Amino acid sequence: MKRWVKAGLLGLGGLGLLRTALLTDEYLRYVKEGMRPLLIASGVLLVVLGVAEAWSASRRRPHGASGHGHDDGHRHGPEGDRGAEEGHDHSGVPRVAWLLVLPALSLLFYAPPALGSYTASREPAKTVAVQDEDGFDPLPATSPLPITMTDFTQRVQQDRKRAIGGRAVLMSGFVTPVSDGGGGWYLTRILVSCCAADATTLKVRVYGSAAPKADTWVSVTGTWHASGALGTSSAAVAVDARSVTKIGKPSNSYMDALPLTS
Amino acid sequence: MQETETRPVAAGPAEEAVGGRPLPRFWPLLLLGAALLPGVLLVLVGRSLDEPAVQAWRTVCLAVTVQAMPFLLLGTALSGAINAFVPAHVFGRLLPKRPALAVPVAGVAGVVLPGCECASVPVANSLIGRGVTPAAAFAFLLSAPAVNPVVLTATAIAFPGSPEMVLARLLASLLTAATMGWLWLWLGRAEWLRPSVRHTGHRPGQSRWTEFREGFQHDFLHAGGFLVVGAMAAATFNVAVPRSVLETFSGSPWLSVLFLAGLAIVLAVCSEADAFVAASLTGFSPVARLTFMVVGPMVDLKLIALQTGTFGRAFAVRFSTATAVVAVVCSVLIGGVLL
Repeated sequence: MKRWVKAGLLGLGGLGLLRTALLTDEYLRYVKEGMRPLLIASGVLLVVLGVAEAWSASRRRPHGASGHGHDDGHRHGPEGDRGAEEGHDHSGVPRVAWLLVLPALSLLFYAPPALGSYTASREPAKTVAVQDEDGFDPLPATSPLPITMTDFTQRVQQDRKRAIGGRAVLMSGFVTPVSDGGGGWYLTRILVSCCAADATTLKVRVYGSAAPKADTWVSVTGTWHASGALGTSSAAVAVDARSVTKIGKPSNSYMDALPLTS
Repeated sequence: MQETETRPVAAGPAEEAVGGRPLPRFWPLLLLGAALLPGVLLVLVGRSLDEPAVQAWRTVCLAVTVQAMPFLLLGTALSGAINAFVPAHVFGRLLPKRPALAVPVAGVAGVVLPGCECASVPVANSLIGRGVTPAAAFAFLLSAPAVNPVVLTATAIAFPGSPEMVLARLLASLLTAATMGWLWLWLGRAEWLRPSVRHTGHRPGQSRWTEFREGFQHDFLHAGGFLVVGAMAAATFNVAVPRSVLETFSGSPWLSVLFLAGLAIVLAVCSEADAFVAASLTGFSPVARLTFMVVGPMVDLKLIALQTGTFGRAFAVRFSTATAVVAVVCSVLIGGVLL
């Protein structure tokens, strides 16, 4: 019996990983793209282990009681976990292992969504890296100019040539409501360096357009919202929106990508 | 989750019928209740699972678990392999006989395990099982996640143009690991360790492969369960304590060191990524960020959970507290000299 439980736990965990990493791209809600091969390998390994355990359980069953010493040394009851620890074999299922069922089932049937406006509204905007003095290339002539939120923040707060002033820019992200009462809303992206536990937030405040529903993905066309001195850290990271259009949620949302211009 | 809560309700009337007592007169009501309550509970629990805070918690919890899973598998596979295939005398030959010398050697040997901290706990456990002195195994446990090439490369990428940060991380981590090893030799008591006879090594008459598979499976299930516990704790702090609270501490140099040490413990970011997190904490001094990177791979919530499961609570509490203190002191010393 215990061996079947073990086989089930291992197999379930493996299937959960395979579903999230191989069959769908839901793993991108939790970790980075580069983890995919590792997750698939882990899933396969766990399924193989589960199958091997089930196979050996079904083979050994008839001999289980004949003193082979593998299926009988286990003590039940409240000390079950301890019993498994101190017994001289590996036949027991540690009680704590049952907890593995939760993430496995969650991955299989009820995967939580990527982090969104709830997390973003509780975190200060990430401080972007400081560009070198002459690190800013001339902006391309396209209008509106597709730009990442990191680039926009750097251009607004660091570019002494103020090339961004007056230019129409196009950015995309999801909507986070503003709670300080100053009007507008935040265009937001959450960045992740390893897994969703280390999420950081990029925010650009959007004025001049009613806030869409929180967590909607939108692309915003607008010009810099003149407040503070452009090119210094006093400049507001904000735009006056000309148009706001709904877009589909990207599958890999934890990155600061250029908006699709199609 | 829902199922366990609803089961007793659904079982109510059925048990009475089985018990042989006559059904109470209002049994249709009971039946109705039995039919409705699980549904209502299910809806309520389901609703609360869709609350943004609960969703964020579940996402972070799964993220920590999923991220750690491959490394945990690697660690438990290695530990199973050491147990089944490596004869005990190999380690006796590789490590110096005197424990005080074996400690730094084991610390430096941490370079060979390319993984994050989840992998090192089961490996250290099987090393102890194979006759390695616990002090040396603990030095390995602490240094492996912090000084392996993957982590050092990640640190170099996260801090471009400041190689002294990589050097400081390497030295501070090794120093902490060795200090903890010696501290264990000096003050450690064997009875704090859970008596573990699981790693008995190869026994004659058994297939090595079966031993490997069964040890691997058992270690994985055991450590995996504790990983889930740690992930839940980390997710709770992650969601309950907004990052903005932290930034208020960045002003004072001393508080900021202690605070980032605390953050490292609470966030439970894996050691391959914590350099990027440290790099993003731009408001803090380099010494504070170094502390974050030294403490993180050695003490954090999921590690404490894993150590509790592997070595026992008496050990995990003492060891983690001591390690946190030693790690902060070492990073301040090394950081003060180098950064």
